[in-house]
Amino acid sequence: MTRMTQWLTDPNPTSRHQARIGQVWLAWIRLRRNPLAITGLTIILILFAMAAFAPLFATQDPTTQDLTQRLLPPGTRGHWLGTDDFGRDIWSRIVHGARITLYIVALVALTAPALGLLIGTVAGYFGGLVDTTLMRITDIFLAFPRLILALALVAVLGPGIFNAVLAIALTAWPPYARVARAETLTVRSSDYIAAVRLQGAGSARIIWGHVMPMCLPSVIIRVTLDMAGVILIAAGLGFLGLGAQPPLPEWGLMISSGRKFLFEQWWVATMPGLAIFIVSLGFNLLGDGLRDVLDPRSAAR
Amino acid sequence: MTDYIEIQDLSVTFDAKGRKVKAVEGVSLCVDKHKSYGLVGESGSGKSTILRAICGLAPITGGTIKIGGEALPSPRGKSFSARVQMVFQDPYASLHPRHTIDRTLSEPLMIHGIGDTDSRVMKALDDVGLPKSFRFRYPHQLSGGQRQRVAIARALMLQPEILLLDEPTSALDASVQAEVLNLLTRLREERGLTFLMVSHDLAVIDHICDDILVMQHGRAVEELSREDLASARISTVYARSLFDASADRLLG
Repeated sequence: MTRMTQWLTDPNPTSRHQARIGQVWLAWIRLRRNPLAITGLTIILILFAMAAFAPLFATQDPTTQDLTQRLLPPGTRGHWLGTDDFGRDIWSRIVHGARITLYIVALVALTAPALGLLIGTVAGYFGGLVDTTLMRITDIFLAFPRLILALALVAVLGPGIFNAVLAIALTAWPPYARVARAETLTVRSSDYIAAVRLQGAGSARIIWGHVMPMCLPSVIIRVTLDMAGVILIAAGLGFLGLGAQPPLPEWGLMISSGRKFLFEQWWVATMPGLAIFIVSLGFNLLGDGLRDVLDPRSAAR
Repeated sequence: MTDYIEIQDLSVTFDAKGRKVKAVEGVSLCVDKHKSYGLVGESGSGKSTILRAICGLAPITGGTIKIGGEALPSPRGKSFSARVQMVFQDPYASLHPRHTIDRTLSEPLMIHGIGDTDSRVMKALDDVGLPKSFRFRYPHQLSGGQRQRVAIARALMLQPEILLLDEPTSALDASVQAEVLNLLTRLREERGLTFLMVSHDLAVIDHICDDILVMQHGRAVEELSREDLASARISTVYARSLFDASADRLLG
């Protein structure tokens, strides 16, 4: 172990790999000092584990109906979080729902920031007409309330998880474009960009290799802080019947189906609601911690 | 010997929100091959702007710049990069904070499709007096003087003929300043480089340059040779005041 850490913190790395892994290691050490961020990370890792090994965690099949067992309260034998109106085990459904939630989160986290980063850096780097055009398009997207725009897109594309993800991604990118553009404006007139331009580098190389790495930290922070919102919008679309379709155990859909019994059988809607709350909290805590680690202005360099 | 860098009547005007700011007005200068030419003046006198104009980083509104008898293409293009390189003033701002030294030095080779990266990077580090073990460090793991050495190594990666030096030592401690100046002098002798150097410090310019142009408010005030400076043959009041300000270090 000590030889491993020695290798990681070697001030004179002998390869590109070692230098990069060493930087990641230092970032991890900074993150480790922040207990709240570690709490958030733990929650998210548990979510990952639940999604990956859902059949092991689940006590029942999430879609098997048993009308003799319907609406059992939490603490019943074999159903420690109770059952819903079709007699399905709520715990098992939440565990399997983690897969859907992660699927949505992962797809949105990969597509929306990539689009936003590209548009923001291109707008910021070129400036002038390109900037004006791209930023006005961004403004138009920002002017719509996100859920309404997502609703309209899903209504056109048809309901389903994939279309919900597409709708969320198409509505989520403008803030990233704004953040990336702001970072690009501070970076583009710096000497290191002038130096690489002077070496004959083209715009694509400069944007990809030199501008984007500087924008990435603030975008990543923004993504983790937005993940809670993404989960909520996905749940909202599910709640309205436009996201995941029954009998899929999507958390928003589960809340929606529990609405009818909210006063008598509160657990049907509350348990998936708690799951959404905990996961959103996890992402927010991690995002806050990452800000301390990744933000070049706060980190000692 | 013919003039190598030839600047005729150069004017640079920045457009600051509708207001025209004349940074350089009608400056002419000539630099012979393998010589070292200095631009001196206070802050805002337009000396750095001339270097940036040569590189195409500042808007030229009048006059011509020729290198080796040819007018410069616009945009400057790769053949220009292989001939002219620049070392920036602030070594803390001129190296990409998220690239290793190795990446910074091999980038110009990649852009120009030059192979043999490993040995060239090693040799470049060696040439500027940095240990080879620094190759995969990040800029924040280096001191100011070491960073400036990396910046010089980067400028030399493409083996240019002309090096533009924008106050290469003003951000450094006095002792480190001397080291970097000696390094520059040695590299110029070894490689037959032509220097065009900007500084506000006559002592630094005197250490390196053969000819000097004194500038004020974007205009050329007086051109001096090293002999003029040594025997204090200075005709204009402004150049005299600059000379007096650093005379103790010049004669020491």
